Amino acid sequence: MAKRITIDPITRIEGHLRIDCEIEGGKVTNAWSSGQMWRGIETILKGRDPRDAWIFTQRFCGV
Amino acid sequence: MEIPLNAQYIRNLMMGAHATHDHIVHFYHLAALDWVDIVSALKADPRATANLGQKLSSWHGNSYDAVKASQERLKTFVGSGQLGIYGSGYWGHPAMKLAPEVNMLAAHHYLQALEQQREINKVVAILGSKTPHIQNVAVGGVANAINLDSQSTLNMERLYYIKTLIDKAGDFVENVLLVDTAAVAAFYADWTGHGKGVTNYLSAPDMPLDTKGTTFALPGGYIPDGDVSKFQPIKSYQDAFFKDNVKESIKHSWYDGDWDRHPWEGETVPKYTDFQDKGKYSWVKSPTFKGKPAQVGPLANVLCMFAAGHEPTKKYATKMLDTISALAGTKVGISALHSTIGRIGARSIRAAVLYDTLKNQWQALVENIAKGDVTTFNPPTFPSGEQRGFGFHEAPRGILSHWIVIKDGKIKNYQAVVPSTWNAGPRNSQDALGPYEASLIGTPVNDPEKPLEVLRTVHSFDPCLACAIHVIDKDKNEIVKVKAV
Repeated sequence: MAKRITIDPITRIEGHLRIDCEIEGGKVTNAWSSGQMWRGIETILKGRDPRDAWIFTQRFCGV
Repeated sequence: MEIPLNAQYIRNLMMGAHATHDHIVHFYHLAALDWVDIVSALKADPRATANLGQKLSSWHGNSYDAVKASQERLKTFVGSGQLGIYGSGYWGHPAMKLAPEVNMLAAHHYLQALEQQREINKVVAILGSKTPHIQNVAVGGVANAINLDSQSTLNMERLYYIKTLIDKAGDFVENVLLVDTAAVAAFYADWTGHGKGVTNYLSAPDMPLDTKGTTFALPGGYIPDGDVSKFQPIKSYQDAFFKDNVKESIKHSWYDGDWDRHPWEGETVPKYTDFQDKGKYSWVKSPTFKGKPAQVGPLANVLCMFAAGHEPTKKYATKMLDTISALAGTKVGISALHSTIGRIGARSIRAAVLYDTLKNQWQALVENIAKGDVTTFNPPTFPSGEQRGFGFHEAPRGILSHWIVIKDGKIKNYQAVVPSTWNAGPRNSQDALGPYEASLIGTPVNDPEKPLEVLRTVHSFDPCLACAIHVIDKDKNEIVKVKAV
C-alpha cells in the first residue's frame, strides 16, 4: 500500500509550501503541491492609483 | 507609451543584477545542501580539495589557505555543538554521493557565495536606492537623475563602480557557479533522468532595447511537448500570442467557484475548505497556456533562447554540457536538461548569459549618456473610461505577468500571474498535474522518513511563495509528518 508523506513546511525557500506525496515501491506515485498562504494583494489594489501598483507588487516572486 | 532609453538600460541593469544575486543564492544557499554533505566536508583533505578546485577552474579563491580557512570555520561551527542552519540536514543520507573533497569545495564556495551575492546586489541598491524594495521605478521610466558633473546623482564614478561589481560577479558565475553546478550534474548524472514533469515551457522575452519595447536582448516564447523545433517566439509587449493564451483555473484552489478565466476577468475571493485530495487544496491558482500547464523558470528560458538561436545561450550551454561530459566521462546533450539537475544547470547558464547582457547594457547606458541624453522619465497619461493592460518580465524564477483593468484612472481589477504560480499550481480544471506535482512522479525515495529526493526536485524550481499574509497553518490526515530543512 502507498505510504503518504506530508512535508510542511518545505524550508530553504521563500514562503510557505506544503508537498504531499504517495510513495510505493520506493518511488513517488502521486503528489500534491499546496501553497499555504493567501496573497490578497489583488484585493488591496482595487480603487488605487495605477501608478502606485508597482510599489505594492514589486516583491511578488523574488525577495 | 514610450520609455526613455536610459530608463530601459537602468531597469535592465537592475533586473540582471538582481537575477544574478538570486541565482547565486539559489544554488549555494537554497539548493546545494540537498546534494552536498557538510559533515562529510569536514573529513576532506584541504590540500586535495584546493588541488581539485584548481583543476576545475582558474578562480582565484581556490587556494589551499582559503580552503583551509573555510574548513576551520565549519569545524568551529560544528564543534560548538550548535549546527544552526545546518542542524537538520540529511547528512549521511545514502543519496548523498559526493567525495569529501567535492563536498568541501562546494562548502567553501557556499561561504564565498555569501559575499558574492551581496556584492552584485549593490548594483540594485545603487540604482534603486535600496534593496529589496527599490524606490526608483516609475510608470514612464525611472526616478534616477543623471548628471556627470554632480556627486549626488548617477555619474561616471557610480557607473564605473557598477561595472566593477558586474565584472566581479561575472568572474564568480563563469568560474565557480557554472563549474560547480556542472560538477554536481556530472557526479549525480542519474538525476538527469528524474524530475522531468511538465515539458511545455513558457518564458518571456526580456531586456528591452528600444523605447517602445519591440526588440529584446533575450528572446522568449513557448515550447510545447519539450520539442525545441516547435518553439514559437513572443515578439513584443503587445503580442496577442501571449495575451490571448493565458488563463487561470481555481477548481483545486481555495477560491470561490470553479472556472478557467483570463486574468483580466479573474477574481480572488477566498473560500477555504481544508486540504481535499480531490477537491480544493491550495491557495495557489493553476495557470494554463493554450489550455495546458506550463513549466517556467531558467530551464524554460534557456531552452527558448537556445531554440531562438541566441548566441550567448548557445555558448554557455555548450560550456556547461562539455564540462558535465568531461567530468562524467560520457557525452551529455541538451536533452539532459529536461530534469531536476537540468533545472539547476540551466539556472547557471542563464546567470552566465546575464553577465554578457549586463556588460552590454552598461555599455549602452554609458554611450547613450555620452550622446548628451539624460532623460529618464516620460509622464504617463490615463484616458478616461476603461483601459486594459498587461506587462511581463522574465523574473529569476520565470515568466511574471501582471494584468490590470483601469477605470477612470483607478484600478478596477488587478491579477498577478507569478512564476511560482505557474510551477507550484495545483491540478487544473482538467485535473492535469502542476509542474511541481508532475516532476515528482517517479522520483525514487530511499527512505520516506527522510525524503531528501523529494526536496531535490522541489528545490530545483526555486520555490518562492512569500508574497503575502499567512492565514492558515494546519494540516490533518497525514500518516507521517516530516519537517525537513
